[in-house]
Amino acid sequence: MRKADKILIVCIMVLSIFLCVPLFFTKHVNSYASVYVKEKQVLRIDLSKDKSYVVNGKLGKVHIEVKQKKVRVTQEKSLHHYCSKQGFVSDANVPIVCLPNETVVKIEKEASQDTVIQ
Amino acid sequence: MNVKKSVILAFLVAVGILLQLLESFVGIFMIVPGYKIGLANIAGLFALYIYDEKSLAYVSLLRIFLSSLMQGTLFSVSFYLSLSGGILACIAMIIAYRSKVFSIYGVSILGACFHNIGQVIAITWIYQQYFMQLFLPILLALSIVSGILIAVVCKKVLSRIHGGFYGKI
Repeated sequence: MRKADKILIVCIMVLSIFLCVPLFFTKHVNSYASVYVKEKQVLRIDLSKDKSYVVNGKLGKVHIEVKQKKVRVTQEKSLHHYCSKQGFVSDANVPIVCLPNETVVKIEKEASQDTVIQ
Repeated sequence: MNVKKSVILAFLVAVGILLQLLESFVGIFMIVPGYKIGLANIAGLFALYIYDEKSLAYVSLLRIFLSSLMQGTLFSVSFYLSLSGGILACIAMIIAYRSKVFSIYGVSILGACFHNIGQVIAITWIYQQYFMQLFLPILLALSIVSGILIAVVCKKVLSRIHGGFYGKI
């Protein structure tokens, strides 16, 4: 391994750490999750209620469960089941993406109130 | 391109397809959903070091086309992700190889990094979802590991072939 390779490795490490920094400074109040199928929002889930939902993905039905303000995909028809293996998600920075079904479950914060001019 | 070279390149494409298919059966890391080492890149890197830049492009692009044809995902989203990552990785590896600054490790790491960057750009463009960029720092850090791993394997194979057991290709 040459010196240039080592410099490259250090540069990539520093870059990835710098790109990580903004993630730790964003805090969201989870209020609802949006379910997108083929880029269209098909469902808006209230995270305060524990309930199960079903949406139609590209390959079949995608079962979504809400429990204690967390959301997960319980059952779906895909090759590797990455999204159901992912488990519960409560962070707005971590979406559940099911590529074969073209389905995305994303936690979004409630639009905060704009500045009120009196 | 003579017959010997074209046959060896065809074999390398076959090796790449086989590694890609084998890797898709085994989910190795669940830290980041969908993360793969990218063993198939061994064939491309090997072609770059025994022949030239053109061979790398042939092996990588043919491998992407044929393996997605075999998996039944040709012209689907995963194919475009693979293709965009593959093209960007090829360009990065060729530039790194021509600059003569990096050894096989640096070339491999740059290829892995730009493969991830290409995929993230493609997924952002296709789905118009910018949150995928949040995966980039983790993917970049993991690509160092996978790049070194691929370079080690490729260097072992290269040293055995240049060692004279099979004669110089």
